[in-house]
Amino acid sequence: MPTLTIDNQQVTVPDGTTVLEAAEQLGIVIPHFCYHKALGAVGACRMCAVTVVEGTFKGLKMSCLVKAEEGMVVTTDDQQSVEFRARVSEWLMLNHPHDCPVCDEGGECQLQEMTIASGHGLRRYTGKKRTYNNQQLGPFIAQEMNRCIQCYRCVRTYKDYCGGKDFGVMGSRNRVFFGRFKDGTLESDFSGNIVDACPTGVFTDKTYRFKSRYWDLQEAPSICPHCSLGCSTVPGGRYGELQRVRSSVNEKVNGFFICDRGRFGSSYVNHPERPRQATRGSWKLTVDEALQQLDVKARELINQHGPESVLLLGSNRASLETNWLLQRWAEEIGCRAPLLSAHLPRHQAAQVAAFDLADRLCSLEKVRQSDLVVAIGADPLAEAPMLGVALRQAVRSGGKVKVFDPRPVELPCDFEKQTVSPTELLDLLDGTSVESKQLVDLLRGAERPVLVAGGLMLGAGGMLRLKKIAAAASNDQRNCLVHPLLGGANSFGAALLSLPEQDDLLTRLESERIKMLVCVETDPLLEAPDNERFAKALSLLEELVVLDYLPTPLSVHANLFIPTTAPVESEGTFINNEGRQQLFAPVIKPRLPISVTGEGNHPPREFIDVAPGSDPIPSWQLFQQLLGEATDLPTLREKMKTAVPRLIDFETLQPGGVSCRVAHVDERCIYTDEIPAAPEESLQLVVTPARYGSDLLSRYSAKLQPRFTEACVQLHPQDAAARGLQDGAKVVLDTVEGPFNLTLKCNDKMAIGCALVENGPKFQQLVPGGKLSFCKVHAGMSHG
Amino acid sequence: MSTPQLLFKNRRPGETVFMEAYKATGGYSALEKALTKSSPDEIRNLVKESGLRGRGGAGFPTGVKWTFFPSDAPGPKYLVCNCDEMEPGTYKDGVLLAADPHQLVEGMILSAYALQTDVGYIFIRYAYERQAEYLRKAVEEAKAAGYIGKNILGSGFDFELLVHGSAGRYILGEETALLNGLEGQRPNPRMKPPFPATRGLFGRPTTVNNVETIANIPHIVNGGALWFRDLALTPGSSGTKLYGLSGHLNVTECFELPVGIPLREIVENYGGGMRGGRKFKACLPGGASTPYLTAEHMDVALDFDSLEKVDSRYGTAGVTAFDDQTCMVAATLNLIQFFARESCGWCSPCRDGLTMMRWLLETIENGEGTPEHLEMLKDQLKNISGNSFCALAEGAMGPVAGLLMHFEQEIVDHIEKGCCPFRD
Amino acid sequence: MAQEEKIDSVGLLDENGLAYFIAHAGELEHPRELVIDVLRAIQKNHGWVPDEGVELTATILGLEPIDVEEVATFYDKIFRRPVGRYPIHICDSICCWSNGGEELAELFQQKLGIAFGQTTEDGLFTLLPSCCLGVCGQAPAVMIHQRHYGPLSADDVDELIERLRREASE
Ligand SMILES: Cc1cc2nc3c(=O)[nH]c(=O)nc-3n(C[C@H](O)[C@H](O)[C@H](O)COP(=O)(O)O)c2cc1C
Ligand code: SF4
Ligand code: FES
Repeated sequence: MPTLTIDNQQVTVPDGTTVLEAAEQLGIVIPHFCYHKALGAVGACRMCAVTVVEGTFKGLKMSCLVKAEEGMVVTTDDQQSVEFRARVSEWLMLNHPHDCPVCDEGGECQLQEMTIASGHGLRRYTGKKRTYNNQQLGPFIAQEMNRCIQCYRCVRTYKDYCGGKDFGVMGSRNRVFFGRFKDGTLESDFSGNIVDACPTGVFTDKTYRFKSRYWDLQEAPSICPHCSLGCSTVPGGRYGELQRVRSSVNEKVNGFFICDRGRFGSSYVNHPERPRQATRGSWKLTVDEALQQLDVKARELINQHGPESVLLLGSNRASLETNWLLQRWAEEIGCRAPLLSAHLPRHQAAQVAAFDLADRLCSLEKVRQSDLVVAIGADPLAEAPMLGVALRQAVRSGGKVKVFDPRPVELPCDFEKQTVSPTELLDLLDGTSVESKQLVDLLRGAERPVLVAGGLMLGAGGMLRLKKIAAAASNDQRNCLVHPLLGGANSFGAALLSLPEQDDLLTRLESERIKMLVCVETDPLLEAPDNERFAKALSLLEELVVLDYLPTPLSVHANLFIPTTAPVESEGTFINNEGRQQLFAPVIKPRLPISVTGEGNHPPREFIDVAPGSDPIPSWQLFQQLLGEATDLPTLREKMKTAVPRLIDFETLQPGGVSCRVAHVDERCIYTDEIPAAPEESLQLVVTPARYGSDLLSRYSAKLQPRFTEACVQLHPQDAAARGLQDGAKVVLDTVEGPFNLTLKCNDKMAIGCALVENGPKFQQLVPGGKLSFCKVHAGMSHG
Repeated sequence: MSTPQLLFKNRRPGETVFMEAYKATGGYSALEKALTKSSPDEIRNLVKESGLRGRGGAGFPTGVKWTFFPSDAPGPKYLVCNCDEMEPGTYKDGVLLAADPHQLVEGMILSAYALQTDVGYIFIRYAYERQAEYLRKAVEEAKAAGYIGKNILGSGFDFELLVHGSAGRYILGEETALLNGLEGQRPNPRMKPPFPATRGLFGRPTTVNNVETIANIPHIVNGGALWFRDLALTPGSSGTKLYGLSGHLNVTECFELPVGIPLREIVENYGGGMRGGRKFKACLPGGASTPYLTAEHMDVALDFDSLEKVDSRYGTAGVTAFDDQTCMVAATLNLIQFFARESCGWCSPCRDGLTMMRWLLETIENGEGTPEHLEMLKDQLKNISGNSFCALAEGAMGPVAGLLMHFEQEIVDHIEKGCCPFRD
Repeated sequence: MAQEEKIDSVGLLDENGLAYFIAHAGELEHPRELVIDVLRAIQKNHGWVPDEGVELTATILGLEPIDVEEVATFYDKIFRRPVGRYPIHICDSICCWSNGGEELAELFQQKLGIAFGQTTEDGLFTLLPSCCLGVCGQAPAVMIHQRHYGPLSADDVDELIERLRREASE
């Protein structure tokens, strides 16, 4: 722990800290470009020069490369350093166009900042500037190469850090070019990160181009709602429109980057059909009226038909606050405790994570640092994209990744794959089979082992089995940690709040005792298994109430609809897959975007005292109203903490930052799994989330449409041949939920004996995360 | 000729010596002697005692460099010979290989034995395809003779030697860029540390040496350290050196002469004086990256230490002489043009600083310069020097420093006349 | 496992060359070290390296095209654009410059009627400026297909061009 002096201030830092990082701790920002905390120091830009007055190597040095030494004395503001940094700015500005006023990066440009910081104000060079032709890089990223200052951050982000394979640096001298081999869409699922990494306006968010100047944006720290990882983001909006999302920093979770689903998947907020008005049938209501009707009707039904007659349904899209208040309201009106998920198997898996696995859960940071990650029943790029990037970092620092899965899993790093069917996965985890013992041995041999548990594939029973494996692989020195993947942004939170549940939504609905169903930010038609049965069951209801911010099919069926706010329009908490309580702050107010109300006119020509479409209210506020208590969030959180002691430090949490995990708890261990016998000639059915558009938010995001894939059923070529089927054939997939007409795709990376379908915008009928089930695939078209 | 000829012993105009002729003049005797009688340590000590300094330009003592090498580290280790030789004014390695390729092959095997490396690469520039072919033939011959392969001469030492062609670009001469190039990566220089000795080619311990450096090893093994030291004319120096003459001299050939020979002898005796009876004005003493010497340096001894004392460098001893009709601004512009074009594009002082420098020199040379341009030139020199990622931009500052040191008046003349005084 | 997919050389490498590189890449621990060798072989066969050549190199060595392109575009002696049958590299570094290199370059441009970077209409000659060719004692010099010519006088230039024209028509 050397102590050094920088600009007359002393600081003590851990061994290996660079002078640049040490200065940062003192609040001294040494200008830099090529250094980036996640990407490391490469010493290319030479912007970070300081003068080492005392130290092994004295003189002008690059602070990103020089390690702090005991007794070192450094100055950052001496004449030599200041002059040199001004010269570096001059060099970087030689070719830079003076187009700041029209540049997309204007106002959030590191080059602007550093040029000003370095004191280079006047251009002395009057020679020719070098110019480039730009490439067409697809729907997400715009390129303007003339603005490049060659910090190499884009390629280090895209290729080195995120593992993209179609982007690089070409040419040399003062003509290096960053781009693709040929024009075309950037293929990586993490392409958007080059927008954040580029310090100037070379790579910008094409979907946000010409919409706002940075300083006009409303921004706030938020949590990505697109999967259970809960990456930190900063969404930005203006005039009622969510315009972009950029990544934020949480070193425990995403680190510095996010995936394209998270970045480009938020335009659901601006969906043209988004319901913004409370309605009963075709009648428009105020939200107050609607709440009144809900309250009266619910109490009436309970009076008449008993506590069973009203069923409240929370969700993993809804915040922790909303789900908790929903439970409180149930108590208040005297109905049974709400279900907090429309999808029981998913919910049960999340409960195992939230209870039984709680003491061995680990963050993505721990995954990045692991020397052996074994992923079981997990397809990171589909279920939790940034996990893929985390795995890459494990591999880059010498770790190994092993995947057991029936799907053709791809990862942005080297890994070993064992293709096994879902039932074989359960055998692998039974603790007694040869494979199982080998797995334990493998984990035992590692120093920092992590098991990634695919909650959708494994289910609660599989997760409990995996827990035993983790226990067997742990010893006194270290735990074998588990990183679970769950269904949605707040799956953990919903699981944490609920009691073990054994009956599901459908069973209850079909019991015919339910008169009223209240769905809070969930649509079982899209999110629960067997939506056909659900649709039928709906007809048994007297009253269907939907509270949501998405134009889901269910809202059309609703007798009473109440609009709520999207996460970016409200404050709230999600608990991510490893139990981290993360707060998001409101970014914009709910209202119809001015681009819609103004019909293109700017400023809008009609003046009224409320913004059109501003009815939606955060769902937690709706339930507070129903409960007749209107407290602020901190007070609410204090109450929640008393009721749910696992929410440690909950009342003090703030949006942004690393946040903290929920407390551990005694295990519950109540679920068992049975492996049903396979019908003859059947295949195991595997339903996986599509990379884009499986979660409802990205499905309703127009920006992501170019990434939506066509529906198909995938078989191993051997299984196809056994059925006399050829690649591309029209086939029927026969499942317990009915037959589906699909195109066949042969894929030799599939497990034999399995059929794979992707749940996404083009195929919504089957939902991932169900119980083990079987299907048949045969030629022809089904009828009906 | 009074200088003993080691490296050019077998040189005949237009001829290339191969195995038979090479052996006839004692070729491979050093190898046979060393592999049967000496331990690797003994050879390394011998090289250290010989005082041999790297012939690739930086002049680092070879024996010292070799002592850093982890010869006993398990796993593959590499010896790489640097025959990029793309610094303007430097062509000695090309001449040596065209005359006598087996010298390098024998030197490589000997050095590999001393360092205990399993694989050797000779990295050779695109323009030396002829030499590359000679080398490939020599390697085949050496293999056939049992000098390369398994259990060489019964010593238990195994060695494989490969010739790797490049495709242009001066930066590949920088040893870490060269390693990237060999690996098929983009040939940007690497960060040091780690040094190649610990993490070099394919992440393994590696030593990089110049052709001439390695070609000297058999002679040192044969003649001994003391003998080798005595070949030089100045105290502290050792060996002979290949001097590639170029520019406005009457004779522009490559000579093997002692280290420490005075500049005057090169210019007047070997170079045959300036062409057309003109006067000597300046020279680059050791390649494009070395600061100019002028007529007042005629009696300076050409060796590493003496040249440093006059703020220049021995470099590769490629002497490029300029007569009194040469515009030194234009000459420097030409040199900077080279370095700017050969920049790898990694760091700002080189990629953009040299561009700025080129523009400044161009502006002055074109008669559009002002006193501010001269000041700018000075501040660019000051700020680029010592601050680039690798030594390329550092080297580029050599001639600029020389220009400002000895010929500032010439710059002022350009500015005052509004044109180049050497052009009509 | 499965049979290696057959690689189509798209006419850029002959059968033997292709087979050699595929076999050699298979033996090496780091096949990537062959990048320059494959690119040079393609260039030797085809005169320059078209996009397909970059892709072919990538396929042979198990790389992505961009990995090859990153390297190919670094080197000035790998041509990623068509050149004439005789690319003439004219040295413009200090030794040749001090011995009339600029005049020589001028002469070539006049005689061939093209500027640097251009190719004569008959597709025979391309003029390219080059850094030091390593024959500083024979300045001013040029290099054609890795052969050096120097020192060159005005007459030599005429003769050289004539000879290459003759050679091409044979
Ligand atoms: C830009 C640059 C170009 C270089 N070119 C060469 C070269 O062509 N040949 C060479 O032997 N060394 C060259 N060097 C020096 C090498 O980096 C390295 O120091 C040398 O090969 C070591 O060998 P030696 O110790 O035997 O001289 C160059 C260095 C730089 C910075
Ligand atoms: S000084 Fe910098 S840009 Fe120049 S060659 Fe070295 S690393 Fe590349
Ligand atoms: S930040 Fe240190 S050199 Fe770029």
